Amino acid sequence: MQAIEYFEVECPETLGGEYYKQITNDVLLDHNLLRVIRKIHVYVDPNVPIFIAVGMLHRITTLVKVGDFCNVNPLEGKITLVLSNETYLAPMLKIFWQKFGQDRVEQADRFTVILRGISAGVKEIEEIVVADPSESVYKDLIYALKCIAPEGFRIRREKYGGGRFYFVSSEDTLPDEVDGHITKLFSKMGEAFP
Amino acid sequence: MILVPVTYRGGIYRHGEVMDLIEDIGGYIVQKHIIAQEVVLQCFVPQADVEFLRNTVKPISGEVTDSPLVGTEIAIVSMSLEIHHLPHPSCDIAEYVRRLGAKSNMVSLARGPGKRISQLNDEERDVINEHDIAVYLLGNFEKCIQQKLPNLRRGIEVPIVLCGGPDKENLQRITDPPVDGYVGNVGRFMHRTKESEELTKLDEIISEVTRVLDARRVAIAKDPLSVSPARLMDLIREKVPAILDVTSPTPLTVQMQGLRVKLPYDPYATEIRKIEIEDGVTIEDIARVNPSRMRDYILLQILPFSETNVVV
Repeated sequence: MQAIEYFEVECPETLGGEYYKQITNDVLLDHNLLRVIRKIHVYVDPNVPIFIAVGMLHRITTLVKVGDFCNVNPLEGKITLVLSNETYLAPMLKIFWQKFGQDRVEQADRFTVILRGISAGVKEIEEIVVADPSESVYKDLIYALKCIAPEGFRIRREKYGGGRFYFVSSEDTLPDEVDGHITKLFSKMGEAFP
Repeated sequence: MILVPVTYRGGIYRHGEVMDLIEDIGGYIVQKHIIAQEVVLQCFVPQADVEFLRNTVKPISGEVTDSPLVGTEIAIVSMSLEIHHLPHPSCDIAEYVRRLGAKSNMVSLARGPGKRISQLNDEERDVINEHDIAVYLLGNFEKCIQQKLPNLRRGIEVPIVLCGGPDKENLQRITDPPVDGYVGNVGRFMHRTKESEELTKLDEIISEVTRVLDARRVAIAKDPLSVSPARLMDLIREKVPAILDVTSPTPLTVQMQGLRVKLPYDPYATEIRKIEIEDGVTIEDIARVNPSRMRDYILLQILPFSETNVVV
């Protein structure tokens, strides 16, 4: 697993900053985002009040294919798929229904799917792409940052793209100088503002 | 007769005899839990008979321990019901005080979060005031606590124990006027309390709550209540059969100065008021029977001796 290269939490209140470092770590860990994030810098100032998180992401190139979580066994004119986990079961069934038709796809139980009378080979089925994790990273990341940010900070702005992100929130209108602040935080990480 | 709160733990075998014994020596059983083969009785027993009870239950491997939180209803005030505050730390603390015999209710504020925008509405204020003590769980920043606490404590008449991220000394420094108890270094966190250091913090909350409640008991003892809440509980259980059909874990919740009856106010309030306790003294003579702000319950507030000139 790739570790976070840079992880800083900055806060005018030292003890509060330490708590927020722990909260950030816990939330990112709970949401499986530690392997996605390369660098992250969080700035919280209760005096303003403002919460800013800026960061860089690892490139996500892996696509989830049927072969990654299924054992595909051809037997007597049918192909039995034994799933090791059911996370991608629903999208996989949808793809099978579109590709082969519902009458040829049978779900025996939570971990078994049987395909009958299809022309595709084992290799071909194993290579079917079921999900692209990079599509949901944005959603997961913003949700996690909302959990990290103090709860009353309902006014927010976020940007994601090109392997970078920023998230700003406050309970008041966001100050004009927020862009300058984001740029400074990116430069502290040794990166440029997107 | 001074009643002290204790917890009995023992096997299910012959526990009926223990219940009879507690009642025979003039005690009251507040709550009974049967967990697998274990029985836990939270009860009040006369102070003079605690040792007797302790020795009597030894042959059946029973254990009697002091439980200062039995017979108290505690409000755990959380700033919201969002993931930011639940399940940690609010549920962890609510569950911990419950283990020690208290009845804890979680009061989550509709507009609690934020520094400038946090508020407490009248319903929340009244619900908190119906408890014996309120444990306020605030966040990690001194600045926020300092600014929002005055709004959140406005109109609160019960003792407050303040928990927050800053140290205890800093909490004391920023709270003006002071509250009744402080526990520092327990702010917002997003993981389960399972490390020994965190469990020590929970114990610290318990000891602070106990200290504040003990001080309140001393204050009540100076002008004693006209009747013990536990006695009133027993009486209502005997005279109002409808209470036996209530499925709540504590249909009658004992408080330090009263009782919450989990029956609807309109059909049952008059019946409860007219119950005779002893020698023609009825409940309405020694207690206020009011509608509770919590659901449609009935709240009994027992009056002190100085107001009624009666002790039954």
